[in-house]
Amino acid sequence: MSSIAVKGPKDLQKIVIAKGLCSACGACTNLCPYIDMVKGRAVLIEPCGLSEGKCYDFCPRTYVDVPSLDKTIFGSYRKNLAIGSNISIIKARAKDSKIRSSAQYGGVVSALVTYALETGKIDAAVLAKSKDKISAEPTIARNRKEALECAGSKYIVCPTVTGVLEAIKQEKSKIGVVGTSCQITAVRKMQASNFEIEADKIGLLIGLFCTWAVSPKAYGYIKDLVGSAKVIKLDVPPPPANIFVMQTDAKRIEVPLDEVRKFIMPACNVCFDMTNEFADISVGTVEGEEDWNTVIVRTKEGEKILQAAVDAGVIETKPLEKERFDHLCEASLTRKKRVLTETEAEKTAYLTIREEDKSKIVS
Amino acid sequence: MSYVEIDEPGKRVLLMGNEAVARGALEAGVDFCSGYPGNPASEILEALAKAAKKADFYVEWSVNEIVALEVAGAAAFTGLRALTAMKNLGADVCADFLMTTNLSGTRGGFVLVTGDDPSAHSTTSELDTRNYARLAEIPLLEPATTQEAKDMTKWAFDLSQELGVICMVRTVTRLSHSRGVVTLGPIKRDKRSAEFSSQDMWTSGSSNIQCMFHSILHEKLKRAQQKFEESKFNWYVGKENADFIIITSGTGWPYSFEAVKLLGLENEVGILKLGTTWPLPEKLVASHLKHAKEVLFVEETDPFLEQNVKILAAELAAEGVGPITFYGKKSNHIRGEFGAGTGELNVDIAIRALTEVKKVPYPLRGKEYSEKAQKLLSSYVPARSMSFCAGCPHRASFWAIKKAAKWDGRDAIVTGDIGCYSLGMLPTGFSVAKTLHCMGAGIGTANGFGNLKEFGLDKPAIAIAGDSTFYHACMPALVNARWNGSNILLVVLDNNTTAMTGHQPHPGTGVNAMGDSSPRVLIEDICKAVGAEVRVCDPFDQDEAVQNLYEMLQNEGLKVMIFRHECPLAFPKEKKAKVYVDQDKCLSEECGCVKFCTRVFGCPGNIWDYEKGKAKIDEVICNGCGLCAKLCPAGAIIVEEVT
Amino acid sequence: MTLKEGLLNIIITGVGGQGNVVASQIFASAAVRDGFYVSVGETYGAAQRGGAVMSHVRLSEETQYGSLTPEGRAHIILGFEPVECLRTIGSFGNEKTKVIANPRPVYSIDVLSGASKYPAVEEVLKSIKELAYSIQVVEATELAKKAGDPIMQNVVMVGCLAGSGFTPVKVETVKDIIKETFAKRRPEANLKAFELGLREIRRTKPL
Repeated sequence: MSSIAVKGPKDLQKIVIAKGLCSACGACTNLCPYIDMVKGRAVLIEPCGLSEGKCYDFCPRTYVDVPSLDKTIFGSYRKNLAIGSNISIIKARAKDSKIRSSAQYGGVVSALVTYALETGKIDAAVLAKSKDKISAEPTIARNRKEALECAGSKYIVCPTVTGVLEAIKQEKSKIGVVGTSCQITAVRKMQASNFEIEADKIGLLIGLFCTWAVSPKAYGYIKDLVGSAKVIKLDVPPPPANIFVMQTDAKRIEVPLDEVRKFIMPACNVCFDMTNEFADISVGTVEGEEDWNTVIVRTKEGEKILQAAVDAGVIETKPLEKERFDHLCEASLTRKKRVLTETEAEKTAYLTIREEDKSKIVS
Repeated sequence: MSYVEIDEPGKRVLLMGNEAVARGALEAGVDFCSGYPGNPASEILEALAKAAKKADFYVEWSVNEIVALEVAGAAAFTGLRALTAMKNLGADVCADFLMTTNLSGTRGGFVLVTGDDPSAHSTTSELDTRNYARLAEIPLLEPATTQEAKDMTKWAFDLSQELGVICMVRTVTRLSHSRGVVTLGPIKRDKRSAEFSSQDMWTSGSSNIQCMFHSILHEKLKRAQQKFEESKFNWYVGKENADFIIITSGTGWPYSFEAVKLLGLENEVGILKLGTTWPLPEKLVASHLKHAKEVLFVEETDPFLEQNVKILAAELAAEGVGPITFYGKKSNHIRGEFGAGTGELNVDIAIRALTEVKKVPYPLRGKEYSEKAQKLLSSYVPARSMSFCAGCPHRASFWAIKKAAKWDGRDAIVTGDIGCYSLGMLPTGFSVAKTLHCMGAGIGTANGFGNLKEFGLDKPAIAIAGDSTFYHACMPALVNARWNGSNILLVVLDNNTTAMTGHQPHPGTGVNAMGDSSPRVLIEDICKAVGAEVRVCDPFDQDEAVQNLYEMLQNEGLKVMIFRHECPLAFPKEKKAKVYVDQDKCLSEECGCVKFCTRVFGCPGNIWDYEKGKAKIDEVICNGCGLCAKLCPAGAIIVEEVT
Repeated sequence: MTLKEGLLNIIITGVGGQGNVVASQIFASAAVRDGFYVSVGETYGAAQRGGAVMSHVRLSEETQYGSLTPEGRAHIILGFEPVECLRTIGSFGNEKTKVIANPRPVYSIDVLSGASKYPAVEEVLKSIKELAYSIQVVEATELAKKAGDPIMQNVVMVGCLAGSGFTPVKVETVKDIIKETFAKRRPEANLKAFELGLREIRRTKPL
């Protein structure tokens, strides 16, 4: 358990929302009538008067006690400073080419989720669903069809954790969640919280690598470019491309990535966690190999289910080359260094990491 | 049949002041009545409307007070006897016509009855409408008892018809809404027909013609004054040729005589009670100023008599009258809680003034008792703020507006207006509304707030208006917003009635004052015709209501949201649903709820079970609307429909 | 029974919606029929929306008085709600004031929201007793439920006032007015409520 003091909504407003650090993960909403999520912002409707609340406790930007979370989730502090605790790091992809074609890259997330649902390892999966492939809403998928409707990367923030709270209310006994780093961190805080929230219903956490997300303000920008055409896929190709791609049923539109970067959520600038360090399994791209995913297996639960999926012929794996591994660690470390050195101290005050690690990162 | 209508001359009955006014009009054989609902005068027209069908005369609720005065004025031009009744602020609204029809005169008896509200118990100004009589230079009558309310109203028609000018009868809440014994007179029903010949011309004129009519008005006033000198509505009681007299009118009369009685001063002071107070019956007043050395004015609300009598006294000084010491509001002897010239009058204020001026003691109930009472009151008695009734749709509307404004995040300015929903400024309306003045001022001021962007004010302007208010006063400002490009969202709270004043009908209800069905003028049609973006929602569908409001706030220009849901008092359900709390599910003070229903939502039906520490429903007060159940974060409130 | 001071001041106090106004009208009409001058003063309009409501019923043999009782001059207080009853006697009571009170609290939103605290009803009744000549407590809402609807508690209380012996108004006159008032609105139930009040007050000892 973290020894950090839990506060209330007034402090949430002061140190997170008012400072523009809210990442719209959704952890503080769907808890009570006093906080709503509106277009990528948490909005306090009315002060509830409590000095300690779930909203503050679950928020990934009020406090993140990294050593404490490591201990709780993995049993011990991380050995790898750059990418966090892990059991193995491999390349993987969905064997079913149909899954891969509806997915962003290797389809590992979709494959794992559908496998877990179909084998009863989870009863419900909280995912981000996009009807128009531009903006997304949290949804609870209970079967393969519903899960596959959620395939593909979302670039506009989606408050997925409100879906987690909804799934818990609906009494699903084993819930799986796919989320970005801040979202998975919030869910881990829920599980570690002193507040009784039935978080033991959450079974599987699949984390996505994440560098940034854009605010819902980007919707208008994208829609103007796309017009009435139907969007098939949005994508950020690996460097050095530096573009944002909108693939519609009519044509392929490319804009400089900087145009989209204008809409990055300020909250992302203080994010320390590129590889989703608290998930059971973290999944990202393999630069240059669009058909594969980089997969970091972190916990025993994650290892078990990945192995089961491999054994069942749902997923195939191959080793990750050392250069790729080093490159990944370097990228993650660079990001951590940038956050610690280039951001105002008060905006990173939420992070609790060991002093010796801080100096190692910064040097 | 109510006592207002029964044809039993000589019978003693209990009537409300407003009912007595209506009875007076009936006894005068009134033909045409109009008005707009307004506290404390609403019951006048209601009583007349009840009697109208059988007695065969016409009553209408007009859309506002100036139209009301105009329609009655027209009837009076044709020779019919006409009456218009309104609250004090209604006089502001009809002033334009009042200040011209006084000059154009009248053929039939034309009576304006105003109901003032000292202390503004149910209004936003304690405006003293006697000043309008002086301003309009028309005869003014002030009843002091329920009997006089009847008798003066009746006489006003004769006076008006004889002089050819509109006459005013002014009452106050304590008379309008109090009940007293009235001895009924015979009901008259002359057969009059409305006539307008080709020679007729009704105008106040302009230039020389206006001056000529103005001079004629002065003549009428002089003739009224002559009649007033002999009026039985003025009297003097107490010590003959007393050195100390009280000059009083209206409710000042019962307060004065009771104060004098309680102080045992019946044989020391005289009381001059005036019922005809503009123009002053100068000879009568002068006859008493001649023997008085001290005069105390007891009247409400303004120092109307006080100032007018002082002018007379100044004029009489040359004849050797005086010097007189005057007491009243100027001397700060007649004062309310907040000072002289404000707040309603009562016996205790009159007593206090007399004890201070006459230096006599007033043995009340003993200092010890008063101290004991004070102590017990302050330690035990919690406040009782006003709140929306259980099941009121305004509660739902204001919560939706609060949420949408928070979602919008730009600190919207919400302007309020007149009606039950005026309570939107209070905690019961989540303190959402920030301004409150007069009918239509909500959208009027929003027009301003929504057009100050160039001065740096870029907050959304949200105006609130009730349905009756909309027809009364909002339409011009609606057009103005469109024409002058003001960026505003008007939220019309349509509960299908004029609630605050007693559930009278209005142009949207499909019913008129006489209870007959009438064409419905739809608010959304008017708004669409003006060119606004219009949406209609049931505020009880909270998610839809908030989402729609939020979307509208993102759009520029003139937008109108109509929140439509019937007032539960005006349209009570046959069988109300049974609502109760599943206390096992209730989260009470825990994070996730923190007593949302009792602490925030505030419906009087949601109460606290102090024993169990959980929420509870007061089944006597609960209306069965189910809104709290929709909003309860734990889903702990259960609604069972009763078939 | 004649009026000793030539004037009898009765105040009916409660919360908007409790039927205060109807109660005062009934009693006042009965007094008129019995030949008295009566003035009835009340707060209307906005005050009804959950606010405190007081009706003053003033009987006189000689003339019509103003409609509000002066401070400290109430002879009788009929309390529909305990805190309002205390509030009223605090301003208008004296050592000789007789009180009949319904002890069922109606919580204001100030209390429900936590801004104010509602005192224990026993404490409130005790305080009233300290300020009154006598107080008789009648569970009028419960009796009204027996008669068929808790909303008739005001009629029960009118029965209490009529049967208390505190006023010169005849019980039969009040009964007639009740019959006329509710001729088209559940006449039997309202009559029953009246009679329950009538009976109850006669066997209720002061606190």
